[in-house]
Amino acid sequence: MGRKKKKQTKPWCWYCNREFDDEKILLQHQKAKHFKCHLCHKKLYTGPGLQIHSIQVHKENIDKVPNAIKGRENIEIEIYGMEGIPEEDLRSHEKRLAGKDKDETDNTDTMKVSTPLSLPPMPPISMMPMTFPGMPFGMTSMPLPMMPPVPMMTTVRPPIPMIPSATLLQSAPTKPLFPSGATGTSHDTNSTPNLTTMASAAAAISNLSTTTSNSLFGNKGKIEPVAGTAKIIHPDDDISLEEFRASLPKYKQIMIPQQMQMPPIPSGLSMANFMRPTMGGLPFMVQPAGFPPMGFNGQRF
Amino acid sequence: MTTLFGLSNNTTATNTLGSNQKDLEVVQPPDDAISCMKFSPIALPQTYLIASSWANDIRCWEIQSNGQTVAKAIQKHDAPILSCCWSDDGSKVFTASCDKTAKMWDLQANTFVQIAAHDQPIRTIHYIQRPSYTCVMTGSWDRTVKFWDTRQATPLKQLTLNERVYAADVCGPMAVITTADRAIQVYSLDQGPTEYKKIESLLKYQHRCVSIFTDKSKNPNGFAVGSIEGRVAIMYVDTTNPSVDNFTFKCHRSTPQPPTNTQDIFAVNDIAFHPVHGTLSTVGSDGRYSFWDKDDRTKLKTSDVINDQAITCCTFDSRGQLFAYASSYDWHKGHEGNVQTKKNAIYFRQCFEEMKPKQKK
Repeated sequence: MGRKKKKQTKPWCWYCNREFDDEKILLQHQKAKHFKCHLCHKKLYTGPGLQIHSIQVHKENIDKVPNAIKGRENIEIEIYGMEGIPEEDLRSHEKRLAGKDKDETDNTDTMKVSTPLSLPPMPPISMMPMTFPGMPFGMTSMPLPMMPPVPMMTTVRPPIPMIPSATLLQSAPTKPLFPSGATGTSHDTNSTPNLTTMASAAAAISNLSTTTSNSLFGNKGKIEPVAGTAKIIHPDDDISLEEFRASLPKYKQIMIPQQMQMPPIPSGLSMANFMRPTMGGLPFMVQPAGFPPMGFNGQRF
Repeated sequence: MTTLFGLSNNTTATNTLGSNQKDLEVVQPPDDAISCMKFSPIALPQTYLIASSWANDIRCWEIQSNGQTVAKAIQKHDAPILSCCWSDDGSKVFTASCDKTAKMWDLQANTFVQIAAHDQPIRTIHYIQRPSYTCVMTGSWDRTVKFWDTRQATPLKQLTLNERVYAADVCGPMAVITTADRAIQVYSLDQGPTEYKKIESLLKYQHRCVSIFTDKSKNPNGFAVGSIEGRVAIMYVDTTNPSVDNFTFKCHRSTPQPPTNTQDIFAVNDIAFHPVHGTLSTVGSDGRYSFWDKDDRTKLKTSDVINDQAITCCTFDSRGQLFAYASSYDWHKGHEGNVQTKKNAIYFRQCFEEMKPKQKK
């Protein structure tokens, strides 16, 4: 009694190697990210549970756990939070904990703002991307030395014309797809790149690997803050705004499959001037100025 | 400078602070959020704008040279329309909808017929015109990309991807598709759609938009991808030195303000390249649009927040004179951000001068 086993690891997700402070959050993560049905977005509790749901409800078999990293996709292993993780994976995870990246801190815009020549000055807030306004971790985000502008000049491509052959595709990364690629990009004209610009761009690139601190493979469910002081204003990383919106009752009820037909003419919509042109031979493009009045005096929408 | 609209010079002169007060507004905008907008191709002497919406409709306006907009026509799907495009000759408009169909609108005959079907909502639609063939490419949440003849009920070709299609672009012989797993697939179109290259994304968060850019001879040689984490990656397809040529930059993020010093990071909703200058615009959930020069790696301009709501999409007209952007809710704050009183609006402004790359000193 009293001698608790020392906790060496935070709860982590077997499917994507992500760590969590609390096992409850881990469970939420797994439900949202790995046990969510891609068809109806129902959250299940385990991999086998998801599989059974999908087979029974949607008649579709799922053989892989969604968003799992390679080798961890097995849907038949029953894992719930930290329970059920194979022993060897537990050990290898502890080993891996050694080197962890730092968080990135973001400033507003990373491209340098060019001074407008003929335009009045822009609002000051957008003018200071390099000044790290109120940025507590600002300095950690720019670890890269300035990238010399010289390599910019070396991007001229060999003038090999495109040979669209399937066998060529993978083996010839240097061949330009599009003939003009051989003429070099407009980068070549960029003989005086601004050092500040380059540095920030370089920093932006270098930071890519650190943006997602915990997810070794970039598999993320809920969006985590990229730094302590920044938050992404977007609901989920694994579903687009359009998918989310389309699943809302408002839009969903009209998605009941319908027969192929000409669109119905809803009445009572307030679109005063959107007249329905009469069918057949309306010279829409031919003489746009002369839309025959009859054409737009027909039915209203 | 004489403006395209024949309005006074101060229209453009006073416009530079990004206030949209002087930006012109398209009449009779859709009743719900605008999902996609495209100007008519250069083949047409007049300028038309099409916009698809969550109110299930696709609308077409004529943008007259005096800046007036005239509502021309409208068609409807059975569910929200997520994407739209023109045929190269400007005679047809194609729409992709949550009703799992794509339709072709013949503007002269005013017919609106189904040309494609998927098992899930169709997210992207693009017209492909090559010397040897023409077709329409649709990308769907059913994880397939299909190429349609428009006259046949079965696709010419179908590609199965690992994940749902989130964004795509087509430019000349190149197509780029990106999916929910952030995979980027480049296709070569000249010998029929052929897989050309898979490219590892520089971005670590969900991809939201992709736009192909061209070199000085107007041949496509790379693309820009925008993510929900206020960041855009500029990536060249055939670069020998990707670590130098390819880069990312941050955008659509708030400036941290005391006392919390919290920075809000917004999604990049759309990217468009200027057809003449090769510079680009981004629009975000933060309600701003920004103009950038990717070659100089500089920002040209950022607007104020427009109407206190997101900008969902943007586009340039084929002559590079006009920049149009749609102010409507993109659902980035869920239900609580859905304020019915905010209006859906499409604005456009003269952009030829402000999109010019800055001269080197």
